[in-house]
Amino acid sequence: MILPVVFAVVGFVLGPAYDVFRLSFTRFIMGQEVAFGTLVNFKTLLADPMFLQVLRNTAIWILGGTLGCVVLGLALATFLAIESRVTTVLRALILLPWILPDVVTAMAWKWMLHGQVGIVGQTLQALGITERPMSFLGDPNFVMWVLVAVVIWRKVPLITLVLTAAIRNVPSELIEASRIDGANRWETFRYIVMPQIAFPFTAVTVISMIWMTAEFTLPWVMTGGGPANSSQIMSTYIYQQSFEFFNWGVASAMSVVNLLCLAALVTLYLTVMRRSWSRKE
Amino acid sequence: MTREPIATTLFALCAGVIALYITFPILWLILASFKPASELARLPATILPDEFTLGAYRDLLTAGTQSSQLLDWRRLIANSFFISVTSTVIVVVLASIAGYAFARIPFPGRDLILGGLLVSRMFQGAVLLLPTYRLMVFLGLHDSPWALILIYSAFGLPFATWIITAGLREIPMELEEAAMVDGASRLQTMIRVILPLAVPSLVTAALWHFVGSWAEFAFASILLESPEKKTVTLGLVNFVDYFTLEFNRVGAAAGLVALPILVIFFFGQRYFTRGLLQGAVKG
Repeated sequence: MILPVVFAVVGFVLGPAYDVFRLSFTRFIMGQEVAFGTLVNFKTLLADPMFLQVLRNTAIWILGGTLGCVVLGLALATFLAIESRVTTVLRALILLPWILPDVVTAMAWKWMLHGQVGIVGQTLQALGITERPMSFLGDPNFVMWVLVAVVIWRKVPLITLVLTAAIRNVPSELIEASRIDGANRWETFRYIVMPQIAFPFTAVTVISMIWMTAEFTLPWVMTGGGPANSSQIMSTYIYQQSFEFFNWGVASAMSVVNLLCLAALVTLYLTVMRRSWSRKE
Repeated sequence: MTREPIATTLFALCAGVIALYITFPILWLILASFKPASELARLPATILPDEFTLGAYRDLLTAGTQSSQLLDWRRLIANSFFISVTSTVIVVVLASIAGYAFARIPFPGRDLILGGLLVSRMFQGAVLLLPTYRLMVFLGLHDSPWALILIYSAFGLPFATWIITAGLREIPMELEEAAMVDGASRLQTMIRVILPLAVPSLVTAALWHFVGSWAEFAFASILLESPEKKTVTLGLVNFVDYFTLEFNRVGAAAGLVALPILVIFFFGQRYFTRGLLQGAVKG
């Protein structure tokens, strides 16, 4: 009865993961596999000046995205945890960015950030912050940060909801007791609420790092890694090498690097989870 | 809530800013879809359309216009529906069977396998693009909608199984035991007693899977070549490359792509939240 789902995992996760490992040690000439047991793909990858750029961009992407998500998520959750009809509606509404198709999200932001008539550029100009409308997706120095801002919008809802639930689970006696002891709002938050939600907070932090590592569609549709590769991250680089340049050797070597990142993060996640289980028992 | 006026104002202000932050990007694009292209190019931008028009939508859906000459949107929508619905049916059926086993039949390594399913979900995304593409070419499914149905089903199955298992575990065992005592067979119990009670979790699994399949872009973009086989997400991305300034057309197309999702979102709200609580967060 469980055979189909086990088969799905073996055939579509384990099998492909094995295949990509095998490919990464295979020499390709003109799309033909010619020899196995070579490190040539990894050497090519390391020698490519793009590699460092991709690593740097991926670091901005994962760390910036995760930091933004958890900080903004925590701020939103603190507000949404307040008991009120308004926050009940907002708690439902906030899922909107989460369930919109990535391609639709990409279009919405492309339109807001449009270089000539985009509302964001126009507003900044009207406020006198910039002289001309900025080209948000066309400026190599900014584009990575703009993408991070968009992915935060896309990913923050779920983090917010998890943290909201966690904050609402903090026993109200604890909070009242701290108020009576003379703690102000910040102290209550810092010394009572934060320790109580430490575990879900850590878990969503690691999970959002996993999401960021695997995320492909949003950055690819927004910039395609451009301009001039300035927003190329691991996932978009793999796609470009695989299906635009047909460099399967290099693509699979990069996939292995990405897979190892994922494996490290998943291990970290499982460690966090296990610690919380053993604490509960 | 405190009744102090300053606190109330601050509360309302925060709520307003958050609501605007959540909805503005998509609202702004939908508003653009109702404005003529000339209005979009004009500065300063209008908020509500000066000249409300459904022209961009009409162009998408009627033959012979500039939009529909580039892409046959009715075809794209049909393709996306076919792929998403077929895959959803497959996933819900297979996940219900597996979910029943995980929830009701003890076998060695059960919880380990169930946990493994969740962990496997984390290894997705770009790393699997190339090998999955190779697998589909090997199976002779390149440029076939069945490739996508197979891929979406395989990737969606673990999560659906997880949701349905969690749903089934909430149903008290006593109900089935009572039915069995009354002489019902295992299969009868499954269909008459469990299935009706399991409907909410089946709906949750189905909605999440449909939404995910409808929105998928990466695999569709590498596997579908023929224009008449493409899906709505591919069409939308094609559109923005073509109509870089006529964002009313892009907005209308994005509106069409988002529409089924928005309908499901507004009417299926409680199922979504349910799914989140049951483990969407785990991966």
